[in-house]
Amino acid sequence: MIQDVVWGVSIVLMGSLALVFAWVAAGADISLPDYGPAIASAYRLRGWLFAAAVIVLIAANWRTLAELPYVSAATPAPGATVVPVDAVGEQWDWMVTPNAFKVGQTAEFHVSSKDVNHGFALYDPGMRIVAQVQAMPGYTNILRYTFTQPGTYHVLCLEYCGVNHHNMKTDIDVAAQ
Amino acid sequence: MTTEAIGTRSTPIGARTAVLAYLAVSGVVLLLMMLFGATMRLAQAQWISLDPTWFYIILTMHGAGMVGIAGLSGAAVMWYFVGRYVPVSTAVFLANLGFFLVGAVLILGSGFIGGFAAAWTFLFPLPAHSGSLWSINAAACYLFGLISIGVGFLLLHLDIVRGILSVYGGLGAGLGFKQGFGLAPEDTGPPPAVAASTMVAIVNIVGIVFGAAILVMSLVNLYVPSFTFNALVAKNMIYLFGHIFINATIYMAVIAVYEILPRYTHRAWKTNWAFYLAWVMSTLMVLTVYPHHLLMDFAMPTWALVAGQIISWLSGLPVLLVTAFGALTNTYRSGLKWDAASGLVFLGVAGWAIGVIPAILDGTIAINSVMHNTQWVPGHFHTYLLLGMIAMMLGFMTWLGGAKSPLGLAPVGFWLYLVGGSIFVLAFLSAGSASVPRRYAVHLQAWLPYDEIGSIGACLAIAGVAILVVRFLAGLRSAAAGGDDSVR
Repeated sequence: MIQDVVWGVSIVLMGSLALVFAWVAAGADISLPDYGPAIASAYRLRGWLFAAAVIVLIAANWRTLAELPYVSAATPAPGATVVPVDAVGEQWDWMVTPNAFKVGQTAEFHVSSKDVNHGFALYDPGMRIVAQVQAMPGYTNILRYTFTQPGTYHVLCLEYCGVNHHNMKTDIDVAAQ
Repeated sequence: MTTEAIGTRSTPIGARTAVLAYLAVSGVVLLLMMLFGATMRLAQAQWISLDPTWFYIILTMHGAGMVGIAGLSGAAVMWYFVGRYVPVSTAVFLANLGFFLVGAVLILGSGFIGGFAAAWTFLFPLPAHSGSLWSINAAACYLFGLISIGVGFLLLHLDIVRGILSVYGGLGAGLGFKQGFGLAPEDTGPPPAVAASTMVAIVNIVGIVFGAAILVMSLVNLYVPSFTFNALVAKNMIYLFGHIFINATIYMAVIAVYEILPRYTHRAWKTNWAFYLAWVMSTLMVLTVYPHHLLMDFAMPTWALVAGQIISWLSGLPVLLVTAFGALTNTYRSGLKWDAASGLVFLGVAGWAIGVIPAILDGTIAINSVMHNTQWVPGHFHTYLLLGMIAMMLGFMTWLGGAKSPLGLAPVGFWLYLVGGSIFVLAFLSAGSASVPRRYAVHLQAWLPYDEIGSIGACLAIAGVAILVVRFLAGLRSAAAGGDDSVR
């Protein structure tokens, strides 16, 4: 899942940066007789790092901005059946209608709130988030998701909404085709 | 070309005492708020029993308190050093502390007496929808507390702006705008403390004005429910204010790095065109990046959210390639003899830079879709706040007062804090990647291992910070007597 990739990339990059700091710290008590050449080399290195960072920045944004979850960009899977779904949040309940689907169906959640800000988060049967959108008073946000596996999906509130926030959840059943 | 980082003015005894008062308050409140944080982690781990009502009150107090002392201690660092280059008022500085203390009392009263628990972000219209758990007056007390703190900071920044204008003639000159774009020689630019203070004043004044507006609107809504406003606009204003204020705390605290590290390495901090350009760009990006908090608000204009992602990525460049790179090159084989103060400010840069990585990833829309409001979020902001901003503050505290402390143990405090803090943030990040929600009083059994490891890390970090803070407090009397800290 995307979360595992993000976790792995983060650990590698954070660890690498930590090692650089540790390496410099460990050698800091040595005194360089002439700082000039070292700083000149460092500035050349920074130029290369800047160029690399710009390339990574452009590539990463180009790649990820092609996958926006907003409904104008989220087209249903080819051949998928789109099912409109009302999802209304109210302290501290979700009303999701209908709440039973089949694998391969695309649910088009029309997410709103009757009172305060809530967060509509869809968890797969393994309790990993697969999609989410905010539920706001005065707005209806549309989130499309195509179910990929049978089982019980869960909707949790991910925007703090008061003292029973952690109990604001409901289930969605997804049957095999 | 370089600019000598050590200021030309000395700090008067009265001003020094005022800074020590800021740090003493910050240290004590920091420890209290860390205990609140650990209490929440221990409750999530089910190692202690805590009623959810109290959990969310503590959550609200922890958030507001930590943001408050980050601002207060950052202001202490900034004011101490910028006062060496421009005239600043000790009376205004103390007035800010007074407003802060009034605000803190109001906020603590709203929670522990009034039961207010709408989180520090007070998202409209939650303050008025308590489910009968807190009163309108309790919510108002909280909002007035934030307003009081905001008024104090506004006065402080305006006074610093006055000082910068009196010496440099304009905010552009204080920021090093011309030097950043090659329109003036690099060696004519302001010292780092002035550039950073100018940037912070610009962004925080804008942020506080927006914050004050939404606070007043929320107050009116409490007592006149028929007065309502757009929840999305309110959210924009809150995150504009909140993002700017909390980020400004780091930009204030990093002045400690610019000023203290060169005294150990005996190398002036390089202030070339890239340095000034980084501060100019950071000013713009801190003001405009806040939509990355709203990536899951599909009603926002898509262009604003795309801009939020791109600016999030761009904003990492000044941190990593200018400040972090500058600290590394300044330290590299400098003959530096490490102590707790130098170690802490160096750690602060590392924590900031390392924390930027998970933050940028979370600012990516495709990733935010599955990470937003999970524990990934406190994971990344605790990395650059607990191990970044707070490390810089503790480094300044140790440098200013710790050397005179009768208590040893600083290295023990440093390592407990570093090891405990690292375990603590990694537990959050790991839990976030497993989709564990943030701000949940009760956790599923499957999530408990993350909470247990996080609790252990929290307790170790608190022990370390307690040693550093108590050490500072024990040496306060002699630290107040002063001394020429420019030669240490």
